[in-house]
Amino acid sequence: MFARELLELMQAGTLEPEIALLNASLIPDIFPVLAAAHKTLVSKSRDSLTTRTLHSELVYNYSGSKHISESLKRCGISDSTTYVLAARFGASDEERIAMKELVKGKEIEIVELEGRANKPQILKHYKITEGELRISTLGDAITCRIAARDAL
Amino acid sequence: MDTEANGEGGSLVLIKQGAEARVFESTFAGRKSVVKERFSKKYRHPTLDSKLTLKRLNAEARCMTKARRLGVSTPVLYAVDPVSHSLTFEYVEGQSIKDIFLEFGLQGVVEEKMDDIALQIGDTIGKLHDGGVVHGDLTTSNMLWRSESNQLVLIDFGLSFVSTLPEDKAVDLYVLERALLSMHSSCGNAMDKVLAAYRKSSKQWSSTFNKLGQGVEV
Repeated sequence: MFARELLELMQAGTLEPEIALLNASLIPDIFPVLAAAHKTLVSKSRDSLTTRTLHSELVYNYSGSKHISESLKRCGISDSTTYVLAARFGASDEERIAMKELVKGKEIEIVELEGRANKPQILKHYKITEGELRISTLGDAITCRIAARDAL
Repeated sequence: MDTEANGEGGSLVLIKQGAEARVFESTFAGRKSVVKERFSKKYRHPTLDSKLTLKRLNAEARCMTKARRLGVSTPVLYAVDPVSHSLTFEYVEGQSIKDIFLEFGLQGVVEEKMDDIALQIGDTIGKLHDGGVVHGDLTTSNMLWRSESNQLVLIDFGLSFVSTLPEDKAVDLYVLERALLSMHSSCGNAMDKVLAAYRKSSKQWSSTFNKLGQGVEV
């Protein structure tokens, strides 16, 4: 399926099963995604999601920003997106198969994230400086922003 | 995704109990972590108590991550929970500077390591201060030596605040000086080395030193 169609289904709330589609260019490592997922589950357990669904909340949380629409635009997918990370909480085997059929892409390994990440775009989005990268990995810098967002 | 986030599922083992918080060891999304939970003070009015606790929790998270943006190594922040008043961050493997200096006191100073540590302490505080962050509790137990990279890591930003006043920065250095003198007198001129490195690292060293009463002698 083309990104545009997936986007339409998602916005209509009829994507089945419900999944999160993240702009994988901004993901150099899976750990910050897990930190965002943890944050999402904590909000869910307290009935305090900021966005409409559990899976849009994951995209919003990954952005490390408080601007919801801007976050979903940048960290989610757009009409022209060709590189995505699809995620679902507690996915069953059947749902995994259904996810693959929905996205209809060429599946790649998680370890390829680092090499395929768009570093300049990440530095710009998360406002990461070279000084910080002397003491931190890109993934850890993103994780800190995700964790500290609501403390700012 | 095959990996699962087991933040809540990880067990908690108490490693330290302080006056403001309890510190536990746990795991967060597969990584060893530390959970620092601030507890309420029963003698305070409940509303005041929760406001103060939350304010300090957020300030700590902010200062920790701001320090990293300034190029100062602190544990990676994993999560902030305003409901349980807790922070979850990276478990740093390595000894505290306090333990290393106490070992120097017992077994003799390893000069090369001593110089490296003092240099990194001064350089780190200089960067922190120039970025407008005052640590507030600079003792050798709040500094770790990351064993895999021989890198200084500052911890416990619970008393940290943002300030550009030379007085505040000088107090930071003064606290460290007292700590070094009282705990580690056998470590010789550690503070002189720290200050020499601070002077190289901080552009505003002279106004800070003036307040510290050391002038240009260093």
